[in-house]
Amino acid sequence: MAKRERVKGESPAAEVDMTPMIDIVFQLIAFFMVITNFEQTQADERVKLPRDALAKPPEVKLEHTLVLNVGFFRNMDGEKTDPQPWLFNFVDGEPVLPLSAGPQLKKEATLFKNKQIDVKDVTVKVRADSEVQTGIVQELIKLCQDAGYEKFAMSAMSGPEE
Amino acid sequence: MARRRKQSKGEKLETNMSAMIDIVFQLLIFFMLTLKIVEPEGDFNVNMPAQGAPTTSDEIPLPDIKVKLQANPDGTLSGLFFGQRNLGIGPAAFEQLNIEILKVIGRPGDPITKDMAVEIDADYNLHFSNVINAVGACTGRIDKRSGNVVKYIEKIKFKPPTPQSAAG
Repeated sequence: MAKRERVKGESPAAEVDMTPMIDIVFQLIAFFMVITNFEQTQADERVKLPRDALAKPPEVKLEHTLVLNVGFFRNMDGEKTDPQPWLFNFVDGEPVLPLSAGPQLKKEATLFKNKQIDVKDVTVKVRADSEVQTGIVQELIKLCQDAGYEKFAMSAMSGPEE
Repeated sequence: MARRRKQSKGEKLETNMSAMIDIVFQLLIFFMLTLKIVEPEGDFNVNMPAQGAPTTSDEIPLPDIKVKLQANPDGTLSGLFFGQRNLGIGPAAFEQLNIEILKVIGRPGDPITKDMAVEIDADYNLHFSNVINAVGACTGRIDKRSGNVVKYIEKIKFKPPTPQSAAG
């Protein structure tokens, strides 16, 4: 302890050099900012998309889209708690039955028209769960066609099947 | 030069860093918490105008390639049919479908493939993943060497669904 006695004239407060820490923290912030994706807000996590090797992320971003999430209520283990598929994140965040979405689809089409967007240019992105009955997806597409939509995109996870 | 500083020890100008570090840590924590790792997601584009739309060309269209997907009562695939032929079930069946489509089109990228269409006829209760796999098998394949997509047929149609009661 005696050796640690201060030499007279040295500054009293022990100064920590903050520069390396700030460097690292800024690096981390930059990293997280770049990697954060705010765009996929319309996607619903309850939908377990099918997987296909050919489903490549689009090179050109679609201009006008209407996202339809068709999935099941699942528990923590991913098992279905309700055999009935629901349309999530569509009407005020409340789940609706896919086959009763017709009026809302027409309302959305009117909203696009009010924004001077032709409904024919709007791509309906169908994010359907891998276990949803195909017939329900087809009937939903039919409802969209009745509302005037013509372009459809079916989402899948890219990568080989598990 | 008149402004030269007095050279006395201990007069180094110290900025107070604590406020900045507070904010920077706040930002760091915000970005860390909002980070959501999303797996890349792709789309299969399908053009489906409402039925009864007038066709503009006078040419007689090529007949559609028929692909039928039959389902078990629990929604799993019980048979994948290319025309009349049963290709079986599982990933091998979809690979076989991919090969059959290649046989039909002859050469990928041929202009004639633009006029060809595949009609998918799936049972009402079939799990949607099988349809996606069938669409994938008809649309093309991934070239193993380059990793690029080799396109086969891009026009995909769906046969209107049969009512659930009839499909059983």
